[in-house]
Amino acid sequence: MARTTKLSLNEWDTLHNNGPWKLKTLYKTKLEASSLMPSDIDRYNDAAQEIQRLLTETKNKNEGFRAYGSAWSMSNIAHQKDRMHFNAHMNTYFSFKDQDLHALSRYAAENLFLFQCGNIIKEISEKLEGHSKSLKTTGASNGQTIAGCISTGVHGSAVNVGSVQDYVAGLNLIIGPNPGDIVYLERHTKPALNDVFAQKLRSRVIRNDGLFNAALVGLGSFGFIHGVVIEAQNLFLLKRYVKKIKKETALELAEKLNFKSFKGIPEEVNSSGEANTPYHYKVFINQYREDKDKDYVVEFMYKKPFKLNYPDPFPVIKKSIYRDLVNVAVEIGSRVPSTIPLFINALKKSILPKVDETSMGTLAETFWDAPYQGPAFAISFGVDHTDSKEALKILSKVSIDEGPMPGIFAMRFIKKSDATLSFARFPTTCMIEIDGVLWNEKKKLGTLKDLSRKMIEALQLHGIAFTLHWGKNADWNFPGLVDHMYGQDAVNWRKYRCALLSEDMQKLFLNDFLKETILSKKETVLDPDLIKSLL
Amino acid sequence: MKTKNYLILGLFMLFIVMLLMQSCYSVRLRSVEGTYEPAAPLVRNDYYRNMEVIEIDTVITLGAIDKDFTYLIKKSDRCPSGKLHTVEYRNTLGAVLLSGITFGRKRKVKIKYVCMKSN
Repeated sequence: MARTTKLSLNEWDTLHNNGPWKLKTLYKTKLEASSLMPSDIDRYNDAAQEIQRLLTETKNKNEGFRAYGSAWSMSNIAHQKDRMHFNAHMNTYFSFKDQDLHALSRYAAENLFLFQCGNIIKEISEKLEGHSKSLKTTGASNGQTIAGCISTGVHGSAVNVGSVQDYVAGLNLIIGPNPGDIVYLERHTKPALNDVFAQKLRSRVIRNDGLFNAALVGLGSFGFIHGVVIEAQNLFLLKRYVKKIKKETALELAEKLNFKSFKGIPEEVNSSGEANTPYHYKVFINQYREDKDKDYVVEFMYKKPFKLNYPDPFPVIKKSIYRDLVNVAVEIGSRVPSTIPLFINALKKSILPKVDETSMGTLAETFWDAPYQGPAFAISFGVDHTDSKEALKILSKVSIDEGPMPGIFAMRFIKKSDATLSFARFPTTCMIEIDGVLWNEKKKLGTLKDLSRKMIEALQLHGIAFTLHWGKNADWNFPGLVDHMYGQDAVNWRKYRCALLSEDMQKLFLNDFLKETILSKKETVLDPDLIKSLL
Repeated sequence: MKTKNYLILGLFMLFIVMLLMQSCYSVRLRSVEGTYEPAAPLVRNDYYRNMEVIEIDTVITLGAIDKDFTYLIKKSDRCPSGKLHTVEYRNTLGAVLLSGITFGRKRKVKIKYVCMKSN
């Protein structure tokens, strides 16, 4: 049997110290030892049974329950005041053969893998490498669990790829304590696995695009995500360049995403004089030097075929501060004594460190480990990339006028997602993020919530449509925020949730974040076929 | 003349103190591959915040004919894989002195290690 440890706690916090928040009970489930239960399917199903037992226990106490993985989210999205479940030890996986595929599947069996919820991005990459495969994209680092990634919409800056949830082909959810409460969801227009495999997981199959897209970025509220079927691809290499380019050029690339005429990297210009389109484009901005600096630091990555014996990327990757925005801010901060005013002065005086880096590595090597850097915050807005220059100007101004705040900006780009509540809503979404070190809000610097509210108001005032990263800091209580960002899609998401979960389970999987964002609101489902399997 | 002597002595002592301080240091080895055993709940506020770190702070005694000492890493609840991800050892002046005055028979061991996550 899978073993669960039950700890009585008073509080729970995120990796980046964004809490703490109150918590009564923490569960930690470990799979049965493979020496006692050699079949992976048996261990997986055994764990499902254990989770259902915990749901029963929670329900009987009339309390709430929420799963989490690496606690990387900075908002309180993962938090539940009653019971939380740490799922990182639930980390088995399955690969597939042609006989496992649905008759109408357009996937190649060799590219499909089911990862149990607690698999961390780094271990997924390692498991995939054993099959000569790679993830299509990840976040800027590799420590999140797969279930956490898709629940909050983790993204990189792969301009033409999308976010982590966009290569998910199937979801195995535990939506209650009863035998019929394990469901396997897929799109009816893009089936992946056959019913025989779903039966091995003791799951009821629902193939329904609307339900699948709603559950995909489910904010941890569509039940317990037990397994995630992903589509991987062949291993590839990324050639990474970090350099300074003219500010105007960086912003024009952001607004137009027309890289063909960009000649700033001669190695990436082909013989006909046309530049390659990068896989990844990221811009770093120190808003405190906006009037003084002529250049921005930018990061480009170009996809290359995989080969062995490429140069070791780690000497560059290990030392590079331009991997994660928090890293850059902390690096600048580390040059001065640890007081926020001095940190801000350092930002005002420092141009971003000079850089001219080149490296080559797999996706997993390039987006490698990010060590804990201390308490940190991040606010991340999604806007249409054509609005990126204007939105950056507005948000920078707010951060200076309402602060100054100990953080700096970056811009990343993601393709539109099909997920109902994905913040990658625009044809290409530019994520404008401000990351930095947390400050003592009692010391006249204003609060993080105030800063976020002023930013939301400023974008609304200028009529710029936006979204917010679910896993980052924001004034999530801002009146009408989710409706403003998602309109009818927010209503649809709530309808699918109400249709899938029983009343008891809607309540059990509820948390403060869902209440603050009014996503907890009950919707009347008039269509009896809303979550019917359509294939 | 007397003041000058005190000054020289003071500077010499400062130099010795600085030299001794340099004898306290730590070195960390971390595998590029593999995932660390994760911690829950997160209670530390250092490099190991999200890792299940195990600390050893002990003195080992070598027998008269022992040339070296091997500390075995075994599978346990906090190290389910029994394989190493990160090791940090710390050397201190006290450890150097202890080893010196016991002719190497007693050795201070101050180590932090994190295991690989088990599959």
